[in-house]
Amino acid sequence: MTEKKHLTPAAPWVELTTTSADWDEVEASDLRRMFVQTLWIRVFEEYVLQLAGDGLVHGPAHSSIGQEGGAVGSILDLTTHDYVNGSHRGHHQFLAKALGHVMGSGDDLALTAEVRTVLRRTLAEICGLSEGFCRGRGGSMHLQWQEAGAMGTNAIVGGGVPQALGFAFNQQKAGTDAVTVSYFGDGAINIGSVLESFNLAAAMNLPVCFFVENNMYAVSTPLSTSTAEPRLSARGQAFGIPSWRVDGMNPLAVRLAMGEALDHMRSGQGPTIVEAEVYRFFHQNGPFPGSAFGYRTKEEEGSWKARDPLDLLRQQVLRREVMTQDELDRALQEITEAMRAIGGEFLEPVVGGKPGQRQIRADKWPDPGFVDIGIRGDLSELADSRYEELDSFDGELGDRRFIDVISDVMARRMEVDESIVVLGEDVDGLKGGTNGATKAPLEKFPERVLGMPISENAFAGMGGGMALDGRVRPVVEFMYADFMWVAADQIFNQIAKARHMFGGDSAVPLVLRSKLAAGTGYGSQHSMDPAGVLATAPGLRIAAPSNPFDYVGLMNTALACDDPVVVLEHVDLYTTTGTGPIDDLDYMIPVGKAALRSEGDDVTVISYLSMVGHCLEALEQVPEVSADLIDLRWLDRASVDWDLITASVQKTNRVLIVEQGAVGTSYGGWLADEIQRRLFDWLDAPITRVTGATASPSISKVLERAAIARTEEVVAALRRLPTY
Amino acid sequence: MATLLRVPEVAAGATEVVLSEWLVDEGGDLAQGDPVVVVETEKAIVEVEAETAGIVLRRLADAGTSIEVGSPIALVGLAAETGDVDAILQELGVVPGGGSPAPERREVGATDAAVRTTEAASDPESGAPVAEAPTAVLEVADPSVEAPSPHDAEASTGDRIFASPISRRLLATAGISLDSVVGTGPNGRITRKDAELAMNGRAQESAQGEAETASSTPDVADSAPSASSRRTPAASAGFEEVEHSRLRRAVANRLTSSKQTVPHFYVKRSVRIDELLRVRAQLNEVSATRISVNDLVVRAVAVAHREVPEANVVWTDDAMRQFDAVDVGVAISSERGLVTPVLRSVEATTPSGVARRIKELVEQANSGKLQQRDLEGGSISVTNLGMHGVEEFSAIINPPQSAILAVGAGIPQAVVIDGEVVAATVMTLVLSVDHRAIDGALAARWMAVLVSVLEQPMRMLA
Repeated sequence: MTEKKHLTPAAPWVELTTTSADWDEVEASDLRRMFVQTLWIRVFEEYVLQLAGDGLVHGPAHSSIGQEGGAVGSILDLTTHDYVNGSHRGHHQFLAKALGHVMGSGDDLALTAEVRTVLRRTLAEICGLSEGFCRGRGGSMHLQWQEAGAMGTNAIVGGGVPQALGFAFNQQKAGTDAVTVSYFGDGAINIGSVLESFNLAAAMNLPVCFFVENNMYAVSTPLSTSTAEPRLSARGQAFGIPSWRVDGMNPLAVRLAMGEALDHMRSGQGPTIVEAEVYRFFHQNGPFPGSAFGYRTKEEEGSWKARDPLDLLRQQVLRREVMTQDELDRALQEITEAMRAIGGEFLEPVVGGKPGQRQIRADKWPDPGFVDIGIRGDLSELADSRYEELDSFDGELGDRRFIDVISDVMARRMEVDESIVVLGEDVDGLKGGTNGATKAPLEKFPERVLGMPISENAFAGMGGGMALDGRVRPVVEFMYADFMWVAADQIFNQIAKARHMFGGDSAVPLVLRSKLAAGTGYGSQHSMDPAGVLATAPGLRIAAPSNPFDYVGLMNTALACDDPVVVLEHVDLYTTTGTGPIDDLDYMIPVGKAALRSEGDDVTVISYLSMVGHCLEALEQVPEVSADLIDLRWLDRASVDWDLITASVQKTNRVLIVEQGAVGTSYGGWLADEIQRRLFDWLDAPITRVTGATASPSISKVLERAAIARTEEVVAALRRLPTY
Repeated sequence: MATLLRVPEVAAGATEVVLSEWLVDEGGDLAQGDPVVVVETEKAIVEVEAETAGIVLRRLADAGTSIEVGSPIALVGLAAETGDVDAILQELGVVPGGGSPAPERREVGATDAAVRTTEAASDPESGAPVAEAPTAVLEVADPSVEAPSPHDAEASTGDRIFASPISRRLLATAGISLDSVVGTGPNGRITRKDAELAMNGRAQESAQGEAETASSTPDVADSAPSASSRRTPAASAGFEEVEHSRLRRAVANRLTSSKQTVPHFYVKRSVRIDELLRVRAQLNEVSATRISVNDLVVRAVAVAHREVPEANVVWTDDAMRQFDAVDVGVAISSERGLVTPVLRSVEATTPSGVARRIKELVEQANSGKLQQRDLEGGSISVTNLGMHGVEEFSAIINPPQSAILAVGAGIPQAVVIDGEVVAATVMTLVLSVDHRAIDGALAARWMAVLVSVLEQPMRMLA
């Protein structure tokens, strides 16, 4: 006969409702403020839908009409130092945060010039115009105004949530009581990045609020078919996060629930979940109701419209006599006219068009030449850096183990720059991680070496948030390069695109250390070379050091650069010994500077990382071929050393690109393409390449060897050169 | 009725000519057959003649410019039509600009041409739409009379030649055509190495070629007024760069190609010419034109070809081409450069006929009036440096011919005849032979006949 003990969750879970007493007690100025902000957001969004209906909004216009109460109530008590980020449906939260920022805490509820500017720049952004907050690049789904603490809305469902952890980490590390609120919908509740973030935030006790706007439909999919627990705040129970459930159509209830959550977070007790039940009056996007698309009924829509938060606030404002009907009417008239005036500046009649037909004025669009500006920074932060090469270095040199240099230079930078934080799986264990790369950092700065749960998407995204905020410079470690697929959204959609997508100015100073392990018998899912895939993301810089001296210089540059930099490491190199600095760990190597490792006339061999050494070995074995060997050191398209490559190819007229990994994800394809375009008239033969096989490397030792390239493959390629 | 004078197709496959000189001003009278303009290709300098009598109403291209074959170069009509030139041109479909050869493709006087174009554009007399044209070249709007495009030309000349980009670049800079270079790379691709070989080879061969051909003066073409010379900054180091003339380039390309693609072998014989000299003296007593030893050698070659017709052949890719008549090329160092015009049917020509014909050809070469047809045909050429005291030399075959006979000076020396040492005038002959067409034994047999004819010169008069 078994015995059972009833277990209770560690964290509380409550549903909060208001009484009329709460409405009596709310400060008159707060009530007015909630009403006016909700009104402004409502009229703003109605104007957006009007433009969308006229075909003047390119792309989707995800209105939040019906849901404004939750946003206004939850943001009312946030300061500028508190951050929000959001999802594709974020006009209301963005405006509430931006309005809160420009309105300050005063009692002035007029449509000031500052308020009009917020409305104007938000509308411009939604329409894709140059004076928008992100210069028209972000549009409806990527609204960012860092100055106001609005850190960016996001078009990947759940994609912004891990970054909120990074913001909260920085707020906490800075010693403030500021918090971050991350908004997302019921559609995001089941995606991995959100659940990973719940867990990681709780494990790290971060001041972040996960605010779920439960509007019951993910586009047309009803919540009841997506989950067996539609009370979404129940998720908190699984992660030890205190959770509140509240009527999101009631701004005051949301404010009160948020107040409790804020107390919890500001007092250092960790994350919270607030679930607000809301309803969008329109379809996913555009000016038509959901019933028009058949997934919900007019009756259901009618019942929710009867609970319109704007009506509720209007009733309470009148009941409390904090505003008169005249004042309400005037406020509506003012905002309506303001929006019309703003739109009038952006729009003009179509000459010869239908009556009333309008178009965006040509001078309001961004210049098409702006398309590629600000994908990366201009590297001005590296001006006046101390650059050294082996032959210019006057510090003491000696034989250094590669892995020790990795550890030493990181500890040295952490000593000099307190903002550097290391995070990854097992980095804080095993006396310095699985390979010893964090040995010295862990000994000297254990509080800044953060072991992560196995949640690459969450902790990579957290690093992205840290970097976007900028007060922390994160060094994220992926134990194996293949894990970038697991964190692909954060690496490619978020971190690599953030600067450009949000207008081109916001730095993303993040270093990602990523380990290549082909040859170690870890098989198909741990043995890739990620360089080719990483190089498809123009926002990333990629460094690939082949020796200890370069590692120090390249890592120092990566840690001084304001762009996300991936530093590739190869397990084969860790235990090797090479020339490196004994005690001077402060020099850098310029972005975009490759190195010539041998000189010759017959062929230009281009390689990187561990394959540089294999190329040198191969050239020794094939003395009849004399080659320039270029060690790229920087692999991203923007940082390839074309001066060196050009000079060499003009001399040798032949190119052999050497890398280790499988052909499908290989790096050299784009480089070969670019070389033939830039240097066609200098080529004497087709560009040749060494790569691994088609298959990913297997566990079996012989199959693994057959799947990757090493010295022997380079030797064969050098001998084959005359046949091409 | 005004008509357009168009650029003739001077040589098969040539798509472009350089207009080197106008011989008639605008408004000038023409009789049918009068030379109007001189155009130049890699192979020839040609006078274009008036097809009808009239006056030159309008020149449509300037001297120094490149013009596509088939393009109109002049409007010829009646004096009464002078006032309507623009309207007539429009009616004839001549429009300015479009598809004119890019200046960088020109090998001669590109800069000069551009300058002249500008001058023409500002010429108050012309008043023609030339002013709007980016170059002075006008094109015909009617597609049916469009000049063959380079693509067509390439297609018609056979298979694509594989050449690596760097070798194309090097060869283009050096002015060497791809078809004169042998590719040794994969698929027969011309590689950098091949290009460099060709460039080195050309430098050596053309130096040699000048020495081997009967050059009585320094290469006149190079110092001719039409060839431009320029002092480059580097020239201050002690040299002057003289731009190649078309003819110089053509000679260079042809000889390079020949030496690289034609497998040469050489057969040498000495011949006593005392009897030949005696007969020549007798002939000169009765001949209107002075007959040289070389004229007699040319004539003797024809007799040898008659007796050994297997040697009167040239190699083609598909078959051996055996000629009926004996046409013999004669290397002439003209004032404009080295040319090798061909005498027709030498087997049916008397020694004085040969002498007269060669004299004419020299005059034509000096005045630049050789026609393309004068330069084609035959299976053999004769080249002679004997008048310069050269005792013996070997020459490069002039493709597609299969042989060239290099004639040295007649020198008195001691020879052994029937065990006796006697004095004799001895001339050395070296025959360069294309081994693809003629084997060694055949060449030896042919040489034996030649020597026999020269030593018994009455055979060439019989």
